[in-house]
Amino acid sequence: MTFVEFKETIVIAIDAMKGNKLRSLLASLGVVIGISTVILMGWVLTGLQTAMDETFRMIGVDILYIDKWDWAGGKNWKLVRQRKDITFEQADIMMERLNNAELIFPTARDWGGSIKYENLIFNGITIIGTTSNHGLTSAGETIEGRYFTPFEESIHSKVVVLGHKVYTTIFPDGNALNQTIKINGHKFLVIGVIRKQGTMFFDFIDNQVFIPVGSFVGMYGRHNRSISIGIKAGSEEMLDEVREEARGIMRSIRNVDPKDEDDFSINETKAFENQVATLKLYVWGIGIGMTVLSFIVGIIGIMNIMFVSVTERTKEIGIRMAIGAKRRSILFQFIVESSTLCFTGAIISLIICSGITFAVATILPKFVEEAGFLTPFLPFQLLVIASIVSIFVGVLSGIIPAIRASKLNPIDALRFE
Amino acid sequence: MNDKKLIIDIENISKLYRMGVETVYALRDITLQIHENEYVAIMGPSGSGKSTLMNILGCLDTPSGGKYLFGGEDVSVMDDDDLADIRNRKIGFVFQTFNLLARATAIKNVELPLVYSGRPSGQRHETAKQALIDVGLEDRITHKPNELSGGQRQRVAIARALVTNPSIILADEPTGNLDSKTGEEIITLFRDLWHKGNTIILVTHEEEIARHANRIIRLRDGLIERDEINQQSNLN
Repeated sequence: MTFVEFKETIVIAIDAMKGNKLRSLLASLGVVIGISTVILMGWVLTGLQTAMDETFRMIGVDILYIDKWDWAGGKNWKLVRQRKDITFEQADIMMERLNNAELIFPTARDWGGSIKYENLIFNGITIIGTTSNHGLTSAGETIEGRYFTPFEESIHSKVVVLGHKVYTTIFPDGNALNQTIKINGHKFLVIGVIRKQGTMFFDFIDNQVFIPVGSFVGMYGRHNRSISIGIKAGSEEMLDEVREEARGIMRSIRNVDPKDEDDFSINETKAFENQVATLKLYVWGIGIGMTVLSFIVGIIGIMNIMFVSVTERTKEIGIRMAIGAKRRSILFQFIVESSTLCFTGAIISLIICSGITFAVATILPKFVEEAGFLTPFLPFQLLVIASIVSIFVGVLSGIIPAIRASKLNPIDALRFE
Repeated sequence: MNDKKLIIDIENISKLYRMGVETVYALRDITLQIHENEYVAIMGPSGSGKSTLMNILGCLDTPSGGKYLFGGEDVSVMDDDDLADIRNRKIGFVFQTFNLLARATAIKNVELPLVYSGRPSGQRHETAKQALIDVGLEDRITHKPNELSGGQRQRVAIARALVTNPSIILADEPTGNLDSKTGEEIITLFRDLWHKGNTIILVTHEEEIARHANRIIRLRDGLIERDEINQQSNLN
């Protein structure tokens, strides 16, 4: 196979396709659907991954939470419920003993708090009592105002830093700073707003407000709930070391017998990653099912049209063989033709999908906030994958008809009318 | 007898087909030599084996027995690829039904053998254009077969046969689909090609056409019935 022949074969393939425009278009429809599924699925998953990475980065990938509860679930729920609460006293001992961590911040939560502003009441907001150390983590970065200070913490100030969703819900016009809101009936001064962190189904992490831990205890009491101990390791590399040190300290504080399992959980953003991995698996599963199905339909369609093409052009094959085409030239010619057909299908898919993704990513988030993670452009690697897949499908569907064409006897082929 | 270069050297070749339990001999025991710049007509009634002989001469088929040397190379033992190569470089075919690619222009048709021999496109175009000029079709280069008359189509086919500068031109009833006037023109063209030094083998059943050759081989029942120099040849 010379380069000249290769080039010429592609020209022949395109000519053959042009000669039967409608037929080629219909034949490649299955491939168009298949490739489109792959592209759109990849697009959603890429967006999902980017959004997740962004969220985790903002929450902080180097942060651990020692909790009574396991974020990811999976552990025996009844046993977990029987665990002893994690207390402020334990948090204090942890702060004394843990050496390797950068920051430690006890965190107490009221999951179903309500906030009153002017005459409006907002329910289902998580009220978090923590220390000013939390304000030093990436999860405590403010876009307006500031976090509360160690001093405000020490005097149990009635100040509050709002999560982004709380901010946009209560103050749709902005201007939250220095406003007074009532948390569970107590007046608090808004001093800051946290940067938006969550995307999609993680936006619950923006539906929180942060107040000094002393103020929290003043309202809710000290011993009627299990708190969590937030630990910032300082870097991802330090994570393992800090986790093990914290685990040892925690077991010692809580007198866990060496042969028993931990009676607490150490949670980190990885727990979410597992959940998202499951979700991605579902998307892939459905997507691959659809893709395989449409590719099978596509391959059958193309193969069928290639068989028709081989039969129609038997005489042409005979002529080509008579004037010197080798069997592999004929084989190659028909494989190139089916690949060209599929590749054209891929290009059509890319055009359609570009339109769809652009339209969806620009319009949908206006109605569904959760769709904001979608990008209006197709990732480049998807285009490469789609092209390669299409050519692979082309070869697959063209190979049997091509073999049949190349096996023709030149004399019989020439005689064919 | 002939001091010119030997091109085709066939020794005792046979071709048999199995049809069910019966074995049919299309060619029985043919021995034949053709030299450079001969103009040979192969004649015979249908079923005489002339098509089979033509297919073997043209390396489209291989004999069941015997030996076939083409320009000194033993083609009776070659595989499909080598045969394709011989057809591409050494043989120019002209068919009764022209056998042009309907979708391709005259020049693209003529270029085709050069594509399979791997010639770059610029060179290919020039060579093919010259071949079309040689057969008198300089003003039909970009026409498609359906825009050409029968005679013009056959000229394109002849240009395609000539373009690789082959050792032999093998024509199978080249005037069979043409009216007698056009047929005459094509025969004249063959005569011109012969004068230029080409070797021509013509398969025909028409005495009128065969008369133009300087040697006539008559087949009957798979055997050479007569192989004679045509004294009345009006070639000279």
